[in-house]
Amino acid sequence: MTVRIVHYLNQFFAGEGGDEAAGMPLKAVDGPIRSGTLLQSILGDQGEVVGTLVCGDNYANEETEAALEAAGEALDRFKPDVVIAGPAFNAGRYGLACGEIGKLAESRGIRAVAAMHEENPGVAQHGRGVYILKTGESPTEMKEAVTHLAAFALKLARGEEIGPAAEEGYATRTRKIVRSPHPIARRAIDMLAAKVNGRPFQTEIPVILPDRVEPAPPIVDMSTARIALITTGGLIPRGNPERQTAGNPEQYYTYSIEGMTALDGNDWEAFHGGYFNGTASDNPNYILPLAQLRTLEDRGVVGSIYETLFTMPGVGTPVPKARRLGAQIAEELVAQEVDGALLVAT
Amino acid sequence: MRLDLATYPVKEVKLGSSTAYKDGVLEIDPDALAAEVLSDPRIATARIELASPGESVRIWPVRDVIEPRIKVEGPGVVYPGICDRPMTLVGSGRTNRLSGVSVVEVSEVQWHDAGHDWVWLFIDMLGPWGELNPYSGLFNICVVVEPHDELHVDVKNRAVHNASLTVSDRLAATTASAEPAEVRTYELKPSSPPLPKVVFIQGVHSSQGTSGNPNTFCTSIYGATHLELPRALHPNEMLDGAMTGPYRTAFATSWTLANNPLMEQLYDRHGVDFDFVGVIPMRTEWTRQDEKDWIGQETARLAYMMGADGAVVTWDAGGNEQVEVIRVVQACERMGIKAVFVTHEDISGSADGVSSLLEPVKELDALVSTGTIGGSDSMPAILPGVERVIGSPTKLVGDLRDESIPTAGPQKALPMYDDHYGFNNLIGMEY
Repeated sequence: MTVRIVHYLNQFFAGEGGDEAAGMPLKAVDGPIRSGTLLQSILGDQGEVVGTLVCGDNYANEETEAALEAAGEALDRFKPDVVIAGPAFNAGRYGLACGEIGKLAESRGIRAVAAMHEENPGVAQHGRGVYILKTGESPTEMKEAVTHLAAFALKLARGEEIGPAAEEGYATRTRKIVRSPHPIARRAIDMLAAKVNGRPFQTEIPVILPDRVEPAPPIVDMSTARIALITTGGLIPRGNPERQTAGNPEQYYTYSIEGMTALDGNDWEAFHGGYFNGTASDNPNYILPLAQLRTLEDRGVVGSIYETLFTMPGVGTPVPKARRLGAQIAEELVAQEVDGALLVAT
Repeated sequence: MRLDLATYPVKEVKLGSSTAYKDGVLEIDPDALAAEVLSDPRIATARIELASPGESVRIWPVRDVIEPRIKVEGPGVVYPGICDRPMTLVGSGRTNRLSGVSVVEVSEVQWHDAGHDWVWLFIDMLGPWGELNPYSGLFNICVVVEPHDELHVDVKNRAVHNASLTVSDRLAATTASAEPAEVRTYELKPSSPPLPKVVFIQGVHSSQGTSGNPNTFCTSIYGATHLELPRALHPNEMLDGAMTGPYRTAFATSWTLANNPLMEQLYDRHGVDFDFVGVIPMRTEWTRQDEKDWIGQETARLAYMMGADGAVVTWDAGGNEQVEVIRVVQACERMGIKAVFVTHEDISGSADGVSSLLEPVKELDALVSTGTIGGSDSMPAILPGVERVIGSPTKLVGDLRDESIPTAGPQKALPMYDDHYGFNNLIGMEY
């Protein structure tokens, strides 16, 4: 089977011109051009570059919707098995356009691969969604890059197993748990021996430092501020009428505290898999200090307490889910014109 | 400190009318062993059942797995301190072990009565979970035991664990007149010229925080289970079970503590790549943030004063615990001790670029991945059913643990799979 390939190039690599041609709309031409002919010669009879999409970088990034619509029509016509985009090397706008084209192809069930330098913004923007092969910074490495693209595209088209990112040379998309030829204990003590003896070693887990959350500007006047109460301490109405879980919740729960002066241990309890619940069940104000906040409200230190409390058990919740729940709460607070929130962790 | 560890391999276990070991065959008298357990007035019911490798058996609920060991020369007893056994320093003299066999503690007794912290370990002898757990290759002599209901939960815990140790002691005693297949001497003499010194730092959970009780039953160090400052142990003490007893996860059992592959590697490479100078158990699951911050610094300081140039750091399981042991790695690196951290990963957010570690910090530059249960082809979400169950025929499942299902049927895989001592070969990789 000859694999049908569509190749994407920007105006410069298609020979249409430099910055002065960067506004050109997307056009589709039959067969390979420029680096596409190199690609075709490497593919030999295993693949055929049936068409080439060419677009100006400015057009692709500023009129993305129109560019993608035109690209979609061309893909319908060419019916490729794989779309190859680039290589874009360190050209940022070109890299971003390659990622968009790859994403479009994948969304239509067409396999796609792009290539660019790892610091090209296209990698950060699209690397988790589209296979992006790593290249050098400049077109002097065109031949290596196109050879790599050709081999990878054939693998994709044939449904062959794609190996780990480091082995195949693409930017990380995700992590998988697989089997190593070496037992864990052996790997661990090999690494220790290397590290204490100053020999090189390779960590097995990349450290992705957490997002820094920029704090909101301070509240100027607390005496007029509306404050919401949020806890991840697993506060539930006594008896757990909603059948909440003790950890890793699917949702947060809200309860009205309107007119309530304190949380009463007869009405509320703690249900949380990560700490001793007895103390908080006796006095739920430990995990949501309503009593103390009401005192501050009475004294005029705090303007008012928002009438709905937010609660969930934080324990065992993966970051993406915690992000989603947090964003939902924040949205609700913004909509209700709440000025600040007291978040009680356990 | 010199310990001779004599291994008596078990190639077959037979049910019979006496309990004896000869030429690799362990004969056990299940009724006599059960009677010995029942002689403890705290015990209401007990029976002995056998699961052999290759059988379609599920054992539920499993509280602990113990390797039969016995001290035959030198001070103390194996598994010291726990269940009021003598608290004499161990790690020297001679200890006999029956390899290829275990005593499995099977009981409905929960760790404490504060809720949440349920016993959930089961052992499959076959299938995907059978392939991953280190117990399926053993002859598992199950002590199915329940204490009298009116006893305090701490007493119940000690009674059923003591029952398992009673059987373990009895089995290990059969080695007295037999010839071992192997005797290995563990001594750890300092090298000349000196090599870099390394320690093994092991986070070990205390249930004091979750139970509200310092005497709560869990992994013990010479019988102590409360939250305390880190200790220094000679590695030989670990081989004699100075740290022993279960935690709530699959790989934290008495058996894995006594057969820790990381420890084996450290012994094997002592005098070659480094000198192995000690084990530091660090209690985890502290309550306050300042305690969590501090305990790592205490531990790193102890490693520093032991002369450590390097450390391999791991722990039993849990999120609070991971946060605390990551702080040990951080504190070690800041004191110039080169640390390797052995950890499972949560890869559920990795397609979104989220870290697979609970608390990524820049000092974590030497990480070893033990994989994870979630998202792994090695462990399907639902485990197949089995032909025979040892223990309870039904089990409670569901978020609120209020749904009863047959133990023998298909069911969800274990919620936590933390191979933190490195029995398997799983690894997380970038794809």
